Amino acid sequence: MLARLSAAGRIATGAGRADLAERLRHAATRLEQGGDVAVAVVGEFKQGKSTLINALLRTDLCPVDADIVTALPTILRFGRPPSAALIADHETPIEFGDVAKHITGDSGQEARAVEIRIDRRLLGAGLAVVDTPGVGGLDSAQGNLTLATLTTAGAALFVTDAAQELTAPEVEFLRRTVERCPRTFLVLTKTDLHVEWRRIAELNQGHLRRLGLDLPVVPVSSFLRMRAQARDDTALNAESGFPRLVDLLRTEVIDTAAADRLAAARDELAFVAAQLRERLDAEAAAALDPQVTAGYAERSRRSAALQHGTWQVVLQDGIQDLAADVDHDLRERLRLLIRQGEELLAESDPRQTWQDFQAWAAREAARAAADNLMLLVTRAEQLAAEVAERFGMEAHDLSATLPALPMSAGKARPIELTFGKSGMAQFLGAFTAARVAYGGFYLLGAVGALFSVAWAAPLGLLAGVTLGRRLVKAEKERQVQQRRAQAGQELRRYVDEVGFHVGRDSRESVRRTQRLLRDEFATRARELARSAQAAEAAVREVAALGEQERQHRAAALHEQRRRIDRLAS
Amino acid sequence: MNLLARTRALLDQAVAATADQRLIQARRRLDEPLRVAIAGKLKAGKSTLLNALIGEELAPTDAGECTRIVTWYADGPSYAVTSYLRDGTGEARPFARHDGAVRIDLGRPAEQVDRLEVRVPSARLRRHTLIDTPGIESLSADVSARTHTFVNDHGQADAVIYLLRHLHGGDVRFLEAFHGGGGGGTSVNAVGVLSRADEIGGCRLDAMTAAERVADRYTTDERLRRLCPVVVPVAGLLGAAGATLREGEFRLLAQVAARPMDDIVELLLTADRFAAGSEQRRRLLTRVGLFGVRLSTRLIREGVVTDAAGLAAALTERSGITRLREVLSAHLEGRAEVLKARSALATLDERLPPGSPLAAGAEEIRAGAHEFVELRLLHELRSGRLTLADDRRAEMDRLLGGSGGGARERLGLPEDGDVGEAARAAQAKWQRLAEHPLSNRDLRTAARAVTRTAEGILAGQNQQG
Repeated sequence: MLARLSAAGRIATGAGRADLAERLRHAATRLEQGGDVAVAVVGEFKQGKSTLINALLRTDLCPVDADIVTALPTILRFGRPPSAALIADHETPIEFGDVAKHITGDSGQEARAVEIRIDRRLLGAGLAVVDTPGVGGLDSAQGNLTLATLTTAGAALFVTDAAQELTAPEVEFLRRTVERCPRTFLVLTKTDLHVEWRRIAELNQGHLRRLGLDLPVVPVSSFLRMRAQARDDTALNAESGFPRLVDLLRTEVIDTAAADRLAAARDELAFVAAQLRERLDAEAAAALDPQVTAGYAERSRRSAALQHGTWQVVLQDGIQDLAADVDHDLRERLRLLIRQGEELLAESDPRQTWQDFQAWAAREAARAAADNLMLLVTRAEQLAAEVAERFGMEAHDLSATLPALPMSAGKARPIELTFGKSGMAQFLGAFTAARVAYGGFYLLGAVGALFSVAWAAPLGLLAGVTLGRRLVKAEKERQVQQRRAQAGQELRRYVDEVGFHVGRDSRESVRRTQRLLRDEFATRARELARSAQAAEAAVREVAALGEQERQHRAAALHEQRRRIDRLAS
Repeated sequence: MNLLARTRALLDQAVAATADQRLIQARRRLDEPLRVAIAGKLKAGKSTLLNALIGEELAPTDAGECTRIVTWYADGPSYAVTSYLRDGTGEARPFARHDGAVRIDLGRPAEQVDRLEVRVPSARLRRHTLIDTPGIESLSADVSARTHTFVNDHGQADAVIYLLRHLHGGDVRFLEAFHGGGGGGTSVNAVGVLSRADEIGGCRLDAMTAAERVADRYTTDERLRRLCPVVVPVAGLLGAAGATLREGEFRLLAQVAARPMDDIVELLLTADRFAAGSEQRRRLLTRVGLFGVRLSTRLIREGVVTDAAGLAAALTERSGITRLREVLSAHLEGRAEVLKARSALATLDERLPPGSPLAAGAEEIRAGAHEFVELRLLHELRSGRLTLADDRRAEMDRLLGGSGGGARERLGLPEDGDVGEAARAAQAKWQRLAEHPLSNRDLRTAARAVTRTAEGILAGQNQQG
């Protein structure tokens, strides 16, 4: 494919179309380098997620302990030489020795993630593995942050151990996982410890079937895999179940991503080929019938207007709607959060429930932000599709004025080929959720910061001495009321802050989406316009030639077109 | 007249006045052993723990979800099973014992059965009736609902042993509901168990130490302390195996231990390998778990144990079940009277119109009995409603009976300490606090109650003397 892209690039340069050559160069770079596909490892805590990653990547960088849990998402990517960094508002390099401390949250430093770059074949093949904090614990704001990660992940490993079948909360989380990331595998860990793991695997498969989820279940033993690595024992490695997991990751994740990239490159090639062919077709048409000049001139005139066509309107309106909807959605969610929070506060004395309440607020805020992000991503994808459709329609209309080419079949490749279904996919290929929500994973980091409240001291000693019993009771009630009011205020301040951060990030994403779509289609419009102009010029030139020369020219063009067709097929 | 006698008298009156079925039951319940429910998420090891506590393989266990009906295990003259239906009728059911486990022939769909009662001649069950419950957070929602309804809505259990594998949000919600329902929540009738402790940290031989660490952290977690003040790590499988180990199983383990070391390592590497090709070994594995097999092999190999009895004792010792029994007897049985009275009075409140003389009687008992005062204070102390310096809080917790109701436990004395002297010292100290002008009102009330506790201990001493 790379060879074909560069061959087509040479033809484009030869035809004086540097813009198209540039497009092909871009396509080649994307095809070659790709981006890493993120694989999020998710599940409840203490199921062996970090151990799984350590075993998978032959490392011990993810801290594993009977008691301590992963507190920060950890991203493992390919990198040579190995390095580690703490990601907050900017990246700070850290020592490998300190990695564990940061991941378990003992360093006391505010951060959103830890990024580790190591030299592993699996990562080099285009994988980025993300270790996430487990869900289901007392501070389960984590779960919602994890869900946000999933929106941008290419695949997910849902980890559950062989000690027991899936529980109701696990299944709920799994459902939400699959919603956000359809390519999910269920990994059954700790098969070395539980003799009945096959039964558990069957039970889980049964649960999945009943839920209508068709996910592969992969039983593994991280312990065996690590032992196999230490002894270089292939048989033991096979026993660990990991080869199947690696295989799935390679075929289902890496290869699929590569295939997607290839398809995107092919679409780009087809687009460019169509542009190049247009001029040749025009010349051929003119060679047969000099009268077509007028049609091409008209088309050229109209194509210049494409840059400011109605697709711009669709984009403008769509972005405005999207921004308003996303903003409204966030407000609505946060308002609901305040209302529920106040109800909770009204039922209790905040001094006793404050810790739980904080955890609750953080969890709900994270959920609101994650759901809001999900809305943003789906809506942005919808909008992209709408704009692409409109653009395709307009581009197609351009050729409507052209007379049907009186040519033998096969030579007259109609232009709509480019703007058919594959064309839509082609525009959208470049426009993925990951790009809209670029940084969306970090989007929520700011939500973590929580409030602490200094409660008014309990009934002071003075009151104890001087007040009568009834007064004391009234005073106590008053203090509870006061604490409620104080907690309510704190809640509103916190939600306000969350709203500010999430709102800012989501507005940023909306702007990025708009810019991305506008640039993408404006460039294409320019390219189409140039093609139309080139075709017009060619037609005029050919029309000015004598009959003999026209025939001659047509024969020469024939060979060129054959080459392009071959490349694009 | 002591608390239980007064409650009995009051309930007798109430029964005579109303003939209410629930009150009759409540009255009968006062003379029965304390009811302790074992609850937790599905597959937390509830049935296994129950077997370990009774010391007999009774409740059926399985790799998949197993217990689907609330089952009572109570002392009785002989083995018998009664099935109580939704409509309140009871019928005797035939049962078979499969490897010791009681397999009950329900004879009808499980939905119609409200609960099962298994009578077993057992001295242990004479101290408390154990109730096995279906797991919460099960995928079959109605199964989970049964436990919630049973424990939280009906106030059927006087106390609960709650099994955690790791602390999940759902566990806390359940415990909160337990404290909220059943008439006035306190943290004094819940005991936490970190179950399947042998599996923590990959069944390595140091698993129990790791489990100890985890349990300690839970014990100090403020949110959990409010709900259940102690968390004991227990390897239920080990405990059950320790109680029921057979000679044949010991021989099997001894055979394994007699092999060359490299062989053993390979064989014990995974559960699969150990179970491969031998049905006997597979059975053994489901009985004692991988950790149990590893531990036993090591014990036999190192000559620490030489026979089945020795191994059984060693397994029991390491399972943590003994410690759990101690905790149960200190926290629950030591308080059985007040817990039972509390349940009975709650039923009384529920069935009688407020303001009636009988309800007033209940209120009087509740307000007057020092046991209740202690219970309430203990709860306030633990929930953080009563703020004290840490060392003073620990002392107060102990004096109020937080770690056991005996005089020595309350005073924190070793075996040979002088109870009278310590009690006098405590009495004087808390008396001072109660009268100190700088103490706030809450503290003074509490200190007065603690003083009274100390006086009670002294009085008991004098009677003995």
